[in-house]
Amino acid sequence: MFRHTPLRLTTLGLMAAGSLIYAIIAGFFGLEILAEIAILAILVIALDLVAGFGGMVSLCHGALMGVGAYAFTVAANEAGMTALPAMVLAIALSAAIAFAIGAVCARSIGIYFIMATLAFGQMGYSFVFQSSLFGGDDGLSGAPRLDLSALGIDLTDSRTFAFYAIALVALAYLVAALTLRSGLGRSLVGLHHNEKRLRALGLTVWRAKATAFAISGAIAGLAGCLAAQHTQYISPGLMSWTVSGEALVVVILGGLGTLVGPILGAILFVVLKHEISSITPYWHAIVGLILIAVVMSRANGVFGFIEARIAARTRTRKPTLKEADADA
Amino acid sequence: MSTDLGFWVLQMLNALQLSMLLFLLSVGLTVIFGLMHFVNLAHGSLYAFGAYVAASLSGAFGYWGGFVLAPLAVAALGAVLYFTLIRSMRRAGPMAQVLVTFGLIFVAVDATRLIWGDLPMGSAVPKTFEGQLALLGVQYPIYRLFIIGLGLTVLAALTLVLSRTQIGAMIRAGVDNDQMAACLGINVERMFMSVFVLGCALAGLAGAVAAPVLSVTPDMGLQILIPTLIVIVIGGLGSLKGAVVGSLIFGFVQTFGAVLLPTLNSVLIYALLAAVLVIRPEGLLPAKG
Repeated sequence: MFRHTPLRLTTLGLMAAGSLIYAIIAGFFGLEILAEIAILAILVIALDLVAGFGGMVSLCHGALMGVGAYAFTVAANEAGMTALPAMVLAIALSAAIAFAIGAVCARSIGIYFIMATLAFGQMGYSFVFQSSLFGGDDGLSGAPRLDLSALGIDLTDSRTFAFYAIALVALAYLVAALTLRSGLGRSLVGLHHNEKRLRALGLTVWRAKATAFAISGAIAGLAGCLAAQHTQYISPGLMSWTVSGEALVVVILGGLGTLVGPILGAILFVVLKHEISSITPYWHAIVGLILIAVVMSRANGVFGFIEARIAARTRTRKPTLKEADADA
Repeated sequence: MSTDLGFWVLQMLNALQLSMLLFLLSVGLTVIFGLMHFVNLAHGSLYAFGAYVAASLSGAFGYWGGFVLAPLAVAALGAVLYFTLIRSMRRAGPMAQVLVTFGLIFVAVDATRLIWGDLPMGSAVPKTFEGQLALLGVQYPIYRLFIIGLGLTVLAALTLVLSRTQIGAMIRAGVDNDQMAACLGINVERMFMSVFVLGCALAGLAGAVAAPVLSVTPDMGLQILIPTLIVIVIGGLGSLKGAVVGSLIFGFVQTFGAVLLPTLNSVLIYALLAAVLVIRPEGLLPAKG
């Protein structure tokens, strides 16, 4: 089950403080990077919720994010909605589509689940790529940013927008953590461990899986809304399966099933990407090599590695049964 | 136009040609999965590597030099991959395999960019197969007929080997139950390696044949990957028949979808895949009953 260990809380606190301080002092380029990290962080929180805790490794989360981004942009531009209702609509639509995908794929496990989600994701991608309503391969521009002038907040300013993005990451994290601590979250983890046992206990398996997938989809839709508001331009590339693959890479680099780790992974990934690509145009190869090394090392990403190290140290220093229990 | 017989013959040949190309790729991938339960997302990159090797060798050794050497080069690369990565990832579960081979794709794309550059490469059709042939009232490029013929030959050879020889029986036993096969004295580990390398060689062969008809670009491996995966999932992971049926379904749906339902075309094949996964999660012709 998901627990907030002192290490996790400390890491969360440090990341929150660090990003807030950075948002105050950074220049324009730094703020852009911060927003980029926030979008990726929300997406990987969504992915870790289902992949890390429910064992549902999805390759359609990029597409779900795209659903959010496109629904938001179309609702705001074509239907003339203001930003807030458009966001609500976009998130609801992402959740509904994710629920349907989750329900359909609930019977598939392992590689079949990965392939099925890949198929649905690519279906959405090809649909948007060809559709004239969604601008085809040209994409859509002109998504508005949320209007918070009633509260005296101006989101067109990039510094304010960075704070807003950080707030949305916190919101996404909160939703994910609350879901995991709820009965649904416990069922999800139980399903990952032993589906037959949960079925014998009377759980409607497909509904639990689909609901968890819907919540994850809603968070991915939120990431999409933020992405659309950030660059105010969206293209089908957002929905391609490689985006989902990259999100999975970030979850793994950070630490699968830790919820905190993937956020750390998102920070590392975006910073590394910008650092490496300023040195060499072949940054994908470097990321690929790091990924292979991390997976081959059998450590659970950066955060999982730190957690295991600290757990091992506490255990050797004071090998009491109680502490070993708490670490598990 | 669509009532014209020539139109149907032409599209049929196009569909067959696409199917056979996909078959060369998917058969290796699917047998590797059936035998080793290993998902190799980098299979498309091996195909791209084959295409590059063939395109660069065709200058020095002619088309046939590339045709022979590209599969060998890709097989050698496959053997290196097998001993460095694949063997130790065999029991690691699908997600770790997907991730490691996803990382390999990143590395492979940048490696080809580093070696061959970003610009597309071309390669010429061999002299023997230049020009067109009149067939049932349509003019069709001989080279594309050659691709169809090659695919059918490989299919026939593999069917023969798998169903009639001792090695084929051993492979089928391995797909069915590798532990039991090992108990019966089959060196399963060596068989895994041979099958993996052969699958890689077939991917290289597909790349070499595709080089003159498609443009050879760094992302060609990524582009072919999704169709290949669709083929093996529709057909059923691990089965030769499944790869044949899956390739044919993909080739025909894609080709006829493009001419008959152009607006729905790209969604069509994914919808079909989703339907197959819902109705028969194991694919149409799974390897194990």
